[in-house]
Amino acid sequence: MQLDFVNRELTVKLVYYGPALSGKTTNLQALHKAAEPGASGRLMTLETRDDRTLFFDLLPLTFRNQGSLAVRLKVFTVPGQVIHASTRRLVVQGADGIAFIADSRNAETQHNAESFLDLKENLKQHGLTLKQMPVVIQFNKRDLPEVRSDAEIAELASQGREPVYLAVAMRGQGVVESFVGLLHLTWSALDAEHDLNKKFGFDSQAFLATVAKKLGDSRPLSEILGACVGGALDVLKPEAG
Amino acid sequence: MTLSAPPTRSLDELTLGGDMSLEDLVSRDGLAEVIKSANELFGLPIRVFTEDGKLLADATDSIELYAYLNTSRAGRAALSEVVAAVKALAPGADGEANYQCVTGAFYRVAAIVYDSRQIGRMILGPFSPAASAEPPASLLALDAQLDPDNLRALYKKLPRGEEQTVSHVARHLARVLDLLLFSGHRALLTSNMHLASVRESFRELEDKNQKLQVAYDRLKELDRLKSNFLATVSHELRTPLTSIIGYSEMLVEGLAGDLTKEQREFVQTIRDKGDQLLALIKGLLDLSKLESGTMSLRKNHVDVAALIKDVVSTMAPTARKKEVELTFEVEKGLPAIWADAERLRQVLLNLTENAIKFTPVSGSVRLVARLTGMDATSSGDTGGMVLLGARRTGVEMRVADTGIGIPESERMRVFDAFYQVDSSSTREAGGTGLGLSIVKRLVDGHDGNVRIEANQPRGTVFVVTIPVKRATIG
Repeated sequence: MQLDFVNRELTVKLVYYGPALSGKTTNLQALHKAAEPGASGRLMTLETRDDRTLFFDLLPLTFRNQGSLAVRLKVFTVPGQVIHASTRRLVVQGADGIAFIADSRNAETQHNAESFLDLKENLKQHGLTLKQMPVVIQFNKRDLPEVRSDAEIAELASQGREPVYLAVAMRGQGVVESFVGLLHLTWSALDAEHDLNKKFGFDSQAFLATVAKKLGDSRPLSEILGACVGGALDVLKPEAG
Repeated sequence: MTLSAPPTRSLDELTLGGDMSLEDLVSRDGLAEVIKSANELFGLPIRVFTEDGKLLADATDSIELYAYLNTSRAGRAALSEVVAAVKALAPGADGEANYQCVTGAFYRVAAIVYDSRQIGRMILGPFSPAASAEPPASLLALDAQLDPDNLRALYKKLPRGEEQTVSHVARHLARVLDLLLFSGHRALLTSNMHLASVRESFRELEDKNQKLQVAYDRLKELDRLKSNFLATVSHELRTPLTSIIGYSEMLVEGLAGDLTKEQREFVQTIRDKGDQLLALIKGLLDLSKLESGTMSLRKNHVDVAALIKDVVSTMAPTARKKEVELTFEVEKGLPAIWADAERLRQVLLNLTENAIKFTPVSGSVRLVARLTGMDATSSGDTGGMVLLGARRTGVEMRVADTGIGIPESERMRVFDAFYQVDSSSTREAGGTGLGLSIVKRLVDGHDGNVRIEANQPRGTVFVVTIPVKRATIG
């Protein structure tokens, strides 16, 4: 997070993590497509010839109409391929919140787990723990055959800490919900640490509703946030140490 | 080795921070080209300034009216006021601002925005509205010295543009610039990420190297400890063994009374095996001394012919017993070599014993000594010989057998301590696998080299080359 007091601007870094080909870039493309023209900048992709992410994708979103504070969201993806370990570590540095995009297919279960452990390790290298980090998990590709069942995911999610979203990013389903959920968690964590709402007279609930609306979702915030299974969407308390 | 970090900016600085400047993102020349082409297309003077007011690109033709105004003091003053006013003009909330100067010409200022931040301005103008044919009174009244007719004529030559059109041009340029900036930003990020990734990978490798180095140092230390252990144990083993051999010798000689034939045979066996064990232990001791570098060679001028003859006569009984023919040939006029005679004898004895051991009945072992050239590098690589040193002369001692031979892939490994080409042959032929490693180290200690060649049609040739010191042939 970067706070510019002079211009009353807050820049927040969100990172989409996950195994190769799980749909991280597709999530960003869906967000970009859903966003009002004024809210979103160009989606920057640094990709190789075969459409695989080389370094990262970057989607800048800016929301200026909230109170007196402009909020700039920089949404990154990491390259999922195993060989890009060092790049992932560079990108995840300084992240304020992380959306973990998992591939729902049964065959990808192991890759999801490995990538999550990789995330944990990379955070550790930056002196962070998963506990300190706002994280939502998205099970993408729900429309494919041979995927893990809703019941199985719900069962596991109910035991976990992270809110879990089901999505078909190719069709934009579940993308905004995951994003708003992530932003909610991230904002709660940042507010708990920096007292942003009070300092800037900021109404985070209204802000989230605005973001959702500018991303084309006009439902009440509670409904959008309620789209997750399991996990806890309440305020993350910064861990001591 | 360390790499000094090139002056790059972190990913966060390049993506989150607000200090991205116009100059960072776009090449000055490229920008000038775009502005020039727009100027040619629309006939409007265009200038691009950075956020801190530095002129970055300029596509303006000289304005005759301004040139004329500059000839008068009041005109000059008015124009510099215009320049100051235009420069200070800040675009409004919609990103644009207009200014009409004393000549009646308009200026359009448009913000250059990237990532929702203003990072520069472009100024279009001066231009006069297309419909306006007559200059404003303010221009005509500027200075009595200026000729009104001339002013009118020059006013008409001002670049023309409808306000609407200028707005379109400004917006069009802003879009083109945005794309340029975006591409520039992407290129900047890509090159930075390349560097950062390389540096990160380098750091990782360095980390691993460090760990490997630690492991390597530890292994080296262990190896040293092993050598020490070997030396100590061999030494300690030798002491009681000497007594065993000594007493059994005394028994055999009847110093403790007569022995029956059977008893004598048994004691003799104890003695023989004791001698074998002693030889083994001496070998271990030699090896550990050679490994720790504590063996000192007492070098002197050595006559190779005498040495070979001695070795052959020593080994002759063994060869006879095995029904192997043992012959030798020494080139005439061989110079003396600079060596430790006792150690060199050990080398040749070892090789000859080996050769006999691995040669089947009615085979032959032949020792040959001759003069040869040695490469200064001892590695067989003759590159840069003229620089690396003169060719040295050496004496080559060849021990050729007609035994089972050594496969080419094994030839370098046989010199490793305890290595056996075929461990089954050990049981048949005996030996510890120490002999050749001692040979190699002793030859190395003489600054010589030892290699293995194939014998024709079968068998092996061990070739030991020991340099002849230049002083002795000089």
